[in-house]
Amino acid sequence: MRLITHNMLQCHVKGCNKDNFPLKLEEIEIEELEAEFNADFIKSMLNRLDWKALAQTTFSLGIAQLPEEMPEELNDEMLQQLHHILLEVDITSGRMVCQGCNHVYPIRDGIPNMLLTESEV
Amino acid sequence: MIPYLVYFVQFHEDFRLPELEALSKLENVKIKFNREDYSNDLWTTGNNYPEVYKNLKNFDPEKYKPYETSTFKFMVETYNGTRTMKEQVDIINTFSFLPFKGSIDLKKPDNTFMVLEKYPSPTEQPCKIYMGKLVGVGNRQLVATYDLKKRKYLGTTSMDAELSLIMSNMALVHQNSLVLDPFVGTGSFLITCSHYGAFTLGSDIDGRQIRGKGKTSIKTNVEQYNMKKRVLGTIVSDMAHHPWRNNGELFDAIVTDPPYGVRAGAKKIGLNTDKYDAPPPTKRSVMNPRYPLTVPYEMEQVLMDLIEFASKYLVIGGRLVYWLPTNSEEYNINDIPQHPSLKLIANSEQSFGKWSRRLITMEKIKKYEDIRLTGEGNTGHYQFRQFYFYGKVY
Ligand SMILES: C[S@@+](CC[C@H](N)C(=O)[O-])C[C@H]1O[C@@H](n2cnc3c(N)ncnc32)[C@H](O)[C@@H]1O
Repeated sequence: MRLITHNMLQCHVKGCNKDNFPLKLEEIEIEELEAEFNADFIKSMLNRLDWKALAQTTFSLGIAQLPEEMPEELNDEMLQQLHHILLEVDITSGRMVCQGCNHVYPIRDGIPNMLLTESEV
Repeated sequence: MIPYLVYFVQFHEDFRLPELEALSKLENVKIKFNREDYSNDLWTTGNNYPEVYKNLKNFDPEKYKPYETSTFKFMVETYNGTRTMKEQVDIINTFSFLPFKGSIDLKKPDNTFMVLEKYPSPTEQPCKIYMGKLVGVGNRQLVATYDLKKRKYLGTTSMDAELSLIMSNMALVHQNSLVLDPFVGTGSFLITCSHYGAFTLGSDIDGRQIRGKGKTSIKTNVEQYNMKKRVLGTIVSDMAHHPWRNNGELFDAIVTDPPYGVRAGAKKIGLNTDKYDAPPPTKRSVMNPRYPLTVPYEMEQVLMDLIEFASKYLVIGGRLVYWLPTNSEEYNINDIPQHPSLKLIANSEQSFGKWSRRLITMEKIKKYEDIRLTGEGNTGHYQFRQFYFYGKVY
């Protein structure tokens, strides 16, 4: 799972609507991928990202120290950094934990399991 | 406007014009077409050869200037009829009056000229002859490139390559689109959409579909086609209770073949209240949770969830492209769901006799408005049909 995907996933346990995003990554293994730098794609994703969540997640993983708010202008260096964060960091295993209800979403073989139990839907 | 002749493959007929329109939008080329005569830079047409020769001879000599010295090749194509090689050569020779002085090059000509004959029936003489310069040929070799037979990981519902490629075009998939298939199965659409440069994501309730059995999985196919950079990944999730962040428009396109019926695995998480003696769920570890109990996922509910999802999560101008099975005898245009924020763009039928499946293309034209039906969760089919199939807002 890349961090771009992580930035789009929230806890969806029935009734859980406080602190249900971003999901906290725990005990993860990371594999670095290599993707071609593609400024156009990164730019087109900017207004779809939740910047605060991205800053928080990358900080807690010790990957990057992004400004708290999305800068008005993104220079090339910043775009490169975002490219690396969003597309080249691949989480192969670990778990995502909801900070609201503590639900755990395991990640195995790079695939997060977002299924709930029948009593949580 | 310059007239061109588009000579389509004689297959999936109902999909061709919608795809042409989608391509013209993708490439930003304005087209108008004449359905009578369904790609050539069309120089002239005639009801017989003498007419064609006459028209060509009457052209301003300037028209031929650019081609006088270039290498060229001449081709004869037939629609609804056939010509032997010898006949083709004879026809080509009758065009020797054209002032082309360059040499003939069959492999890499600068220009290719083409004659297309249209026959009323294979036993009659051609009724129309088109002559022009070939400007492009379709990417039909892609159908072979992505042929399922060559694919390492397959499932019973993997979608054939040609239709998957058409779907990608209908969805206006282009470089850097972000595309989701929420019923991803073995990932056919991830491959074809990423072929056209999209970044793709997939999800499925059944992790075994994604992970595959034994040595092959979606990952194997992604590696086979060298698309690891474009296929972003897959998640295990139930479309009826999905985890996509709900405060933004995320996707440029949703391309999917939903599960209809229990055979296609249409199920969603839920407790079947009729079953009093459901086995007590066995608890496993947090990292290895048991598979949740499921209930059938009714077709109308699948559609409603999909359309609701698209109206919310697509960007404006984004497209939803999906298959819908219909009963051929009872089919009525009202079988196609509607939604206030989605406009129906195309509806192409692939017939199997008693039933058909239709490729439905919708485009998001308005921001999502919460148009929840009356009551929580308890949406009867009747109301659903009323709302989605007849487009009435209560
Ligand atoms: C028709 S198949 C899609 C096949 C896919 N296009 C391919 O190329 O392999 C439908 C898929 O929907 C999945 N499915 C069924 N119910 C679902 C649900 N509630 N949420 C998400 N996926 C579901 C099934 O597991 C199945 O893989």
